[in-house]
Amino acid sequence: MSWRDAREQAHVFARRLIGGGFSVGDRLLITADTWPGFVTAFFGAQYAGLLPVPVSLPAGLGAREAYIAQLRRQLAASGAVVALATDSLAGYVATAAEGTSVRLVGAMAAFEALPEKAADLRPLGPGERCYLQFSSGSTRFPLGVDIRQDQLMANIDASFSERGIDLRADDRAVSWLPWYHDMGLVGILLAAVCSQRSIDVMSPADFARRPLQWLALAARQRATITYSPSFGYDLAARRAQRQSLEGLDLSSLRAAGIGGDMIQAPVLRRFIDTFAPAGFDARAFLPCYGMAEMCVALSFSTINTGFALDIVDRGQLTDRHVAAPASGTNAREFVVCGKPLPGHSVEIRDDAGKPVGERRVGRIFARGPSMMPGYFGEPEASAAVLKDGWLDTGDLGYWRDGEIVVTGRAKDLIIVNGRNIWPQDIEWAVETITPLRRGDACAFSLQDDDGAERIVVVVQAWPADAAEREALRAAIAQMVKETVGVDGTVQLIRPSVGLPLTSSGKLSRSRARTNWLAGVYKDGGQRPDVVAVEAAARP
Amino acid sequence: MRSAHKFKVYDFTDPVTSDTDLPPREQVVAEIVQRLEPFRVDARPITGATVITKDLNIDSLAVMDMVMELEDRFDISIPLNDVAEIHTVDELAEAVLRKVGGR
Repeated sequence: MSWRDAREQAHVFARRLIGGGFSVGDRLLITADTWPGFVTAFFGAQYAGLLPVPVSLPAGLGAREAYIAQLRRQLAASGAVVALATDSLAGYVATAAEGTSVRLVGAMAAFEALPEKAADLRPLGPGERCYLQFSSGSTRFPLGVDIRQDQLMANIDASFSERGIDLRADDRAVSWLPWYHDMGLVGILLAAVCSQRSIDVMSPADFARRPLQWLALAARQRATITYSPSFGYDLAARRAQRQSLEGLDLSSLRAAGIGGDMIQAPVLRRFIDTFAPAGFDARAFLPCYGMAEMCVALSFSTINTGFALDIVDRGQLTDRHVAAPASGTNAREFVVCGKPLPGHSVEIRDDAGKPVGERRVGRIFARGPSMMPGYFGEPEASAAVLKDGWLDTGDLGYWRDGEIVVTGRAKDLIIVNGRNIWPQDIEWAVETITPLRRGDACAFSLQDDDGAERIVVVVQAWPADAAEREALRAAIAQMVKETVGVDGTVQLIRPSVGLPLTSSGKLSRSRARTNWLAGVYKDGGQRPDVVAVEAAARP
Repeated sequence: MRSAHKFKVYDFTDPVTSDTDLPPREQVVAEIVQRLEPFRVDARPITGATVITKDLNIDSLAVMDMVMELEDRFDISIPLNDVAEIHTVDELAEAVLRKVGGR
């Protein structure tokens, strides 16, 4: 579809929204499958003055109930009054919308039945809201980033600059990224509209099933730009071990952006080894760092130079929070994420809030013209991350020659395969299992050396009978899988060992992680005699 | 010049027309069971009533791979919302048969 036709269709859609009596500022929820209707509705909403709210799709086998519950929370958080779904999801959205403020819900056909009012369009302008981005917050308490027109344009402009992808006249992008995620929505779709370039897109589901179609499409269309989290490059390289690459020519790709999760150097090396024979140029790799709170991007590495590694001493990193250059067995490698975009600044601060110097690990703060004003309708959550004009990214990192190296997160957020998982969501679900109670579970993630994360759940419960223990452990593992769709390691511990708490009595996931790594919870945890006596003395 | 630019959404799940007969239900169930066999947790055999993500030790990526294999095997595409309704082997077989029949 040409962008001109897309605009015509968006105009028609906008007049129907106006004809349907929807007001400026109303929210329109859209299931963000990769379909033309999304483009029509997203831009139609812009022309009618409504705010689109892209939402994700059901994730896998038997996901119906969890998906409807999630939709219901997203409808509530956005206060949407109208909702558009693909034909196949219209029933789910309708069910979720029962008893909410939604006045019209349905597939595209329901919108085509609205009278097309011959009214003037009411396009959103500079300084106004643009859309709400749900990619932050827990599944239980979703937070929609309030994306404004000005901030969005600032972010896209900066990413086109020579300190970003250095946009060229003949650029063409290919993508499998979901449109409910900032990297797919802004980095691909909105960037293409703003730059008036062509894009070729496929759905994430198609990518997951046939990863090599992504690269075949790039080759066929002579694409110059693509983006993906590490795991996308991983999936493609793995699948390529089983398939012939004959005829695949990736030499047109000049920018292969990587972001959205911890960048895994071994994955990138494997991708290069696999696809260099197909013409992939290692210099195309373009590590980036960003977050939805900055629309999408905060830093890019230097275009056309490939990825840079920094190799540091593991012990000094964990014990002294210093990134000391090292080599050998106790070294750990990080991919360097580049300099902040033009107009944006970054501070890395210590626990006392003081900016730190070169190679000291601290918490990453950022500010600039792309920064969100806050989360939609959530002043408390906004105030928790916006402090004195700076955004607390919740990430940890250090400076290396003016470039940012991200080492992990200060927040307890877990990211698996590019998906944000809040430990609370796992803990709350696990604690619904009999006989567990609130506060019995602690979820955190461990990072493998290649940057991949795996989930660990420590639960304080120790049925005396070994078979019962195993049954409980299995039930918890199943609950983790059902809740977040990925496997986790479950470790039961004796209540006498207990989970670590902070001085204010809150669960300390970071100390639980440290304990885990130190082997404290092995076989249910140590049981010093004195503790056993105490436990026995309890009623 | 500018308006010459466009976007295209690719659908790699175009149904492939074929005049093969409908596979019998037992065959579809058998094919699913065979693919799930590596994920069995105990001595209990996998049957039509087996709940895939509950009774087996299989993660979401492996489930996806299996669904993909079935799609390739039968030249079909099972939509996301159908997948979200599937819990048991029987339900998956039904979804496959519906697609094969409607192809």
